[in-house]
Amino acid sequence: MPDDLAMMDATAQADLVRTGAATPLELVDAAINRIEKVNDQVNAVIHPLFEKARAAAGAANTSDTPFHGVPIVLKDHDGSSAGDPLHHGNKLLKELGHIADEDSYLFSKLRAAGFIPVGKTNVPEFGLMTTTEPEAYGPTRNPWNTGHSTGGSSGGSAAAVASGMVPVAHAGDGGGSIRIPASECGLYGLKPTRGRVSLGPEGGEVWAGFVQRHVLTRSVRDSAAVLDRLCGPMSGDPYFAPPPARPFLDEVGADPGRLRIGIRTSAPAAMAETDDECVAAVEDAARLLESLGHHLEMASPPALDETELASLFVTVMTTDVVREVDAVGRIAGREIGPDDFEPLTWTYYEMGKTYTSAQHLEAIDGAHAWTRRVSSWFASAAGIGGGGEFDLLLTPTVAEPPPEIGDLVGTEQDPLRGMARATVFAAYTAPFNVTGQPAMSVPLYWEASRNLPIGVQLVADHTREDLLLRVAGQLEVARPWADRRAPVHA
Amino acid sequence: MSDPLAVLDATAQAELVRSGAASPLELVDAAIARIEAVDPELNAVVLRRFEHARVEAASEDLPAGPFRGVPFLTKDLACPTVGEPQTDGMRAAKDAGWLATETSHLASRFCRAGLVNLGRTNSPELGLVPTTEPTAWGPTHNPWDPNLTPGGSSGGSAAAVAAGLVPFAHASDGGGSIRIPASACGLVGLKTSRGRISVGPSRGELSSFLSVQFALTRSVRDAAALLDVAAGPEPGDPVVAPAPSMHYRELAVRTPGALRVGLMIRAPGDTSPIQPECVIAAEHAAKLLEGLGHDVEVSHPEAYDDPDRSAMFATLWGVDAAVKIATWENLLGRTLAEEDVEPATWVMASSGRDVLATTYLETVSRMQVWARAMANWWAPGPEGHGFDLLLTPTLGEPPVPLGTFAPAPGDPFAALLRAGPFTPFTPSFNLTGQPAISLPLHQSAEGMPIGAHLVAAYGRDEVLLAVAAQLEAASPWADRMPRVHA
Repeated sequence: MPDDLAMMDATAQADLVRTGAATPLELVDAAINRIEKVNDQVNAVIHPLFEKARAAAGAANTSDTPFHGVPIVLKDHDGSSAGDPLHHGNKLLKELGHIADEDSYLFSKLRAAGFIPVGKTNVPEFGLMTTTEPEAYGPTRNPWNTGHSTGGSSGGSAAAVASGMVPVAHAGDGGGSIRIPASECGLYGLKPTRGRVSLGPEGGEVWAGFVQRHVLTRSVRDSAAVLDRLCGPMSGDPYFAPPPARPFLDEVGADPGRLRIGIRTSAPAAMAETDDECVAAVEDAARLLESLGHHLEMASPPALDETELASLFVTVMTTDVVREVDAVGRIAGREIGPDDFEPLTWTYYEMGKTYTSAQHLEAIDGAHAWTRRVSSWFASAAGIGGGGEFDLLLTPTVAEPPPEIGDLVGTEQDPLRGMARATVFAAYTAPFNVTGQPAMSVPLYWEASRNLPIGVQLVADHTREDLLLRVAGQLEVARPWADRRAPVHA
Repeated sequence: MSDPLAVLDATAQAELVRSGAASPLELVDAAIARIEAVDPELNAVVLRRFEHARVEAASEDLPAGPFRGVPFLTKDLACPTVGEPQTDGMRAAKDAGWLATETSHLASRFCRAGLVNLGRTNSPELGLVPTTEPTAWGPTHNPWDPNLTPGGSSGGSAAAVAAGLVPFAHASDGGGSIRIPASACGLVGLKTSRGRISVGPSRGELSSFLSVQFALTRSVRDAAALLDVAAGPEPGDPVVAPAPSMHYRELAVRTPGALRVGLMIRAPGDTSPIQPECVIAAEHAAKLLEGLGHDVEVSHPEAYDDPDRSAMFATLWGVDAAVKIATWENLLGRTLAEEDVEPATWVMASSGRDVLATTYLETVSRMQVWARAMANWWAPGPEGHGFDLLLTPTLGEPPVPLGTFAPAPGDPFAALLRAGPFTPFTPSFNLTGQPAISLPLHQSAEGMPIGAHLVAAYGRDEVLLAVAAQLEAASPWADRMPRVHA
């Protein structure tokens, strides 16, 4: 067995099993060793599933599943895996030792693809923050610099991959929660188009369709190959994305042609000031894309300048927070109160309870109308209202480099400090949760002084993950990041 | 004197133009003459744009689409065209002389297909009830028996098409509003899959995704060809139904393989009796399907009986009524008070106005879980039951007299509750987003049309069209004429 499994992506690890160079149990044991070696430094895995994983690996028969025997971690939010803890970063659920009784389709599909979950990863409470520092489980630290945040909400998953514990980690993205930690931990993070991955059977849509689920990976091919397994409608989905013309994996390495790409380095809806380093990351990516033959110019959908976006996002999100918080009450079987939740969550809860249906639907109508204005900028938009000219939009993923641990967390004097700071970090990502368009963060740039990764975001029109994956594959070859090793690494 | 054009479907009328046998203006003038001659008995066409239509029909700019020169009518609900009057059946909008401020993608698509819009057809206020008797415009009469309802909410369009005024007309369906009038007036009424036809550009969803836009037609081939015109994604559509493998007009003439059909002849949840003629309609359709080689057995999704489905629908419907009122308040720039709207509208909007967003979302979430249980009956594989079609009567009763749903003084709820036994079958598929069709396969002893209702899995609109074409060939309805006909 090769000695540096920690640097191998899932596709390479699966090849070891396929060729007989390693068994599933060896891969799983090696991952467990890596977690035990570095988890103390980053606090990524909060629920080890080691015995269950070893049993599954031992029982795994020879199989032609694409990721047979490859270890994975699951985010402790954005999905439910039967028999495993599910605490959403909430201290009451932790106290209750809550165990999920249902499998999300997503997790069934990951297992059916051959993956073996070895643990569950840390999240901010209900995934509501752009850092991963829940009171319940403490902060997850960035493997590139442990004084800094991993971003969130899939920060535990990001730290697990960036520190080499596992090659792939489940993640979800309702406002940037795949892309932000990808940016801050030097990973590849693709948020698929709305309806690409079923959110069932426990639900139909989350945050009015803002939330999509997928994985964080080091390699582009892993992300594409996993998406091939996760995509596809499940019975009773309220809607789903049209199927791709061919497997996503086939797009990695395919020539994207000469694309017209707009650049934007000012935050949508003026939600943030953009740090010079984050602008520099975009300029660097733009030069790289130009060198690959693409046409780049300063341009973006004018609708991104409209300012009502933040308030409609909050209306939709906080209404859903009420549903999640009340669900904790049902699990606990008692009245819940502010002491059971973090101040920010409770504030969102109280806000969410004030809206009428009409206000909620007005926000959704606003989101839909705004989406059309954004989408019509893209060349692939069909129909009477089509005719846009751009293939992709290039922006920073985040407006600032990874913040220090504690920077986004409330203090005694200002318990809601995180609310405004979270907005800054989601300023570039959340708009594309509202539109439901696919978007990705690609790790091309590291801030020299603090060794902190800064990703760039590329956005395509609805259903065009194919374009994103082609470009990501191109960038990965032109400026490979696979050999970059975080200081905390197994 | 009867107009021979009145019995031609849109495909046949378009062929006359294509072959040079008739000009668009001749078709349009003939339709105008039919409307002027017959509509006084029906009150189907409430807003007329005859002069505009004549100019468009005579113009060289009339688009060379598949329906070039064919006369058309648009329901007076949604589907706006900028600068043109529209009331959504509201007195307040009528009195204000309101003009639409944008053109919907669907109206643009109809226009590009070469259709010539002659006006707007009657709709109940905001399309909220299954009859078409708004105080703003008065009742639309059923061409088969003017004392009876044409159904609703697309009753104006249904009466116009059934009476031969136009070969087909725009319609919409949020709880059965295409299928109910199709059954009551003897037409083909396809409720399309959620996300099949865009509701843009300013809207992403209508009525919490309950409502879809399309049309009422006499022939199945018209429904298929018009769907080719209307369907397809627009920029930023929040939901896009899976695309068909080829044109619907081609899919509709392909004989479907042997289909597995579940027959249901009692009301979901057994909440109200189904009148014998409606039971006969479904059983008759079952026999026809068997004769065509399909496999029919008595079965339906267990979740269809869940009493919660009506509660969920009522919550979403009430909220939608409140939102619609609020939207019109914005458009008209004034508050709408109780006296500005009909009593039934007011009670429905009142029931929805105070519903908290959290209650709404909880209802949507519950509905989505229930929809999965429903879908399971159609799903293949070890988990599902593997049915292709559910067959039910479209309605629980033959068309009822006009006035049946009129609010009793002091009890506006009674009228709403009266809609329950009339339409027990249709609203569930607005919740699930599945395609469903009403076909005019049966006539009651009194000579009234009675529809059969077929429901397919989400996205499979083409199987409904294909089986509808088979049934149309096996048991044609084109020669049946209502009492009031051009």
